[in-house]
Amino acid sequence: MNKGKMGIILFGYGKFGRNVARTLKKEGIESMLLIESDTENYNKAIEDGFDNVKLMDVTDDANLEEIAVTEEDQLVCLMDDDHLNVFLVLSLKALYPNNNVLALSDSIYATSKLKMAGADRVIDLYSVSANRIYNILRKPIATRFLDGFTDGNHGYNFRQIRIPENSFLHEKRLDDIDFRRYGIIFIGMIDVELANSFIFVTTGLEHKLDAGDIIVCIGHCEDLDRFEEIIKEPEEECRI
Amino acid sequence: MLRFRSILSIFEKYRQKSKRFIDSVKHRLITWAVKLDNSRKQKELRKRVEDILNNPSNPKKRYLDIFIIVLIISSVFIMIYEVKHPLPLWMDIYDIYFVSLIFLIEYILRLWISSDMTSEFVEEYNKATFLGREFKVLPALARGLKKKLEFMITPAAIIDLLAILPAYRPLRVLRIFVLFRFLKLLRYTRSINQFVEVLSNKRFELLTLLLLLLFVMMTGAIAIYVLEDMRNPDIKSMFDAIYWSLVTISTVGYGDISPVSDMGRVIAMIIILFGIAMISFATSVIVSAFSEKLHTLKEERIIDEINKSEEFLIICGYGQMSKMFFRQFSKIDFKYIILDKNPERVKEALHDGYDAIVDDASRHETLARFDTNNSRVTVMCMTHDDVENIYITLNAKNISPKIKVIARAGSENIVNKYRRAGADHILLPNETASTMMAVAIMRPTMYKAIDAIFSGKNVAMLDEVIVHSHGHLLGKKIKDIDFKHFKLIPIGIQKQNEKRFIFNPDPEIVLEHRDVLLVMGDKRSISYFIEISCKDRC
Repeated sequence: MNKGKMGIILFGYGKFGRNVARTLKKEGIESMLLIESDTENYNKAIEDGFDNVKLMDVTDDANLEEIAVTEEDQLVCLMDDDHLNVFLVLSLKALYPNNNVLALSDSIYATSKLKMAGADRVIDLYSVSANRIYNILRKPIATRFLDGFTDGNHGYNFRQIRIPENSFLHEKRLDDIDFRRYGIIFIGMIDVELANSFIFVTTGLEHKLDAGDIIVCIGHCEDLDRFEEIIKEPEEECRI
Repeated sequence: MLRFRSILSIFEKYRQKSKRFIDSVKHRLITWAVKLDNSRKQKELRKRVEDILNNPSNPKKRYLDIFIIVLIISSVFIMIYEVKHPLPLWMDIYDIYFVSLIFLIEYILRLWISSDMTSEFVEEYNKATFLGREFKVLPALARGLKKKLEFMITPAAIIDLLAILPAYRPLRVLRIFVLFRFLKLLRYTRSINQFVEVLSNKRFELLTLLLLLLFVMMTGAIAIYVLEDMRNPDIKSMFDAIYWSLVTISTVGYGDISPVSDMGRVIAMIIILFGIAMISFATSVIVSAFSEKLHTLKEERIIDEINKSEEFLIICGYGQMSKMFFRQFSKIDFKYIILDKNPERVKEALHDGYDAIVDDASRHETLARFDTNNSRVTVMCMTHDDVENIYITLNAKNISPKIKVIARAGSENIVNKYRRAGADHILLPNETASTMMAVAIMRPTMYKAIDAIFSGKNVAMLDEVIVHSHGHLLGKKIKDIDFKHFKLIPIGIQKQNEKRFIFNPDPEIVLEHRDVLLVMGDKRSISYFIEISCKDRC
């Protein structure tokens, strides 16, 4: 994964920003820039051990222009105030139209406004939670399984795997590969040509693998590690 | 002296004899009572009778109700038919013996289950032996009978008793008691109880009105009697006068008796004016009583309705989260009720088309209204306030530990408190959204996949397929199921007997009853798969 290349800029260290920043830190991402317009939150961020924090008035475009934003950077709008958040998305999209802008919304009304303002991805706080309740009620087992991915309880994970050069998987049809024997489940692949969109195997995917393709699998972390090692080999081993 | 002594000795003898007799009766009575009280058969029978007569959720009660209703209607029909036509013999026999007999049996059964007399005896006996006191039959008997009597004087019991009476043919007057059979129907309508309840709330006003009416009526009756007794040939007695007065005051005015003197007409005019005033007053009292109660009556209906279902949700608080929750469902195919303290919110919910009541879920009485014994209840604490949510959680768990609680927590620090309160699932909207946000930031391409799986909206839905005892899946091995054909991926199996989840199951695993198969795929594929696999094997 290209964690190193892309920078992350978080706007807002309020009730949402704090959580997101902490989650990212837990995942091992250190290189993020925090931007706050509120002094109290700014101090809090410094107190919490983030050293890359800037205090500025985000409603002023001149300030926003000063931030060193590169093409790969992800801009995340997490201001506590809905109005400010929408405004920020609008300003950022005007200044950096090619960058990925993500926003968190805590009301149904804000979600549609953020989308209109041009946010590439809006996560609706209530929609996500309401969905969870739905799942708890209707699919308890599936929910427990899915929860494991987020809290890391059961050790299973999603992983994108790039098919290396000289792999035995090269030029093989998907139907012919028995992923089961590696203890993992193949669920789909990422189409690089189609703007990195994700295609599920269940849509009736028929494909011949090439080096450079990215496949997505679920499995135990160890099994996934092992699989990644194995596919580097030009020949399939008889027994694992 | 001697004679007196002999009388005394005879008396003494007699007393001893009778004491022995009473003791033996007592002994017999108590052994019989204890035996009866301990008899499982008797208890079971009693319970079953009670269940069939009084438990509305018992399906058999429906049949019994319909049967009794048919009897009542046929009986009333026979009475009406009899007025003009001679009754065929079979109808007579049916009416006198069959219907009355059934009603008699029903009455006796109701009397039997109304209170438990044998346990009264046993209790008294146990108390007596414990305290080393002599066991007395009479107090226990009196207490038992008192309870039975209390039941017998309830309106429903009186109606039941009177409905049996028409069976006694020699007294033709008793035929009119067939009407009480008609009244028996009231047992099957709740409206009359509610009507009485509503009116009883306005007791004071109605009583005042009635007294006033009586007063005016009597005054009018006395006046007309005194003034017109001699002149008016229609008024022969005080009863005629009262009859005239009531007919006039109620503005019915048959006109069979009418005043002939000027003074009599003046009196008529006065009481007519009183009559109009009082009738409008009575109407307004009753109407206001109903409009006040209409709201609660409606709520009670909703709660009654929901209590009949096997499983339902109680959603506390109608905020953003609850709204979003409802949006998850394309069609609401479950029973629920929304409770909110805030009337504004309830109004909003009703406006959005959901069933909602203004009520405080943290109060014991509120949640106790729901039938937690016969239905699986899930309480969702969705208010914004953690303190309130925790209180509701405790309240629900206090009423019945069987109630499942899903609570929304404001922050991670408070999760422990929810656990302690007994919440089954704790939801952290902030945390959940943050995690999703982190995924979206770190793995943008993956986000779509994960979001699709989590929300189940897109092509990749994770769903559960339960193996039914009659379905096609039972006893099959994983490898025998052509998942590829259905465009599904088997992710795992929850084995019912081992209570564990198997990821990426072995092809040799055999599906057993109530196992849950976790599959991923398009929504359409999954529903097709479920349709096929759950069909009965023919």
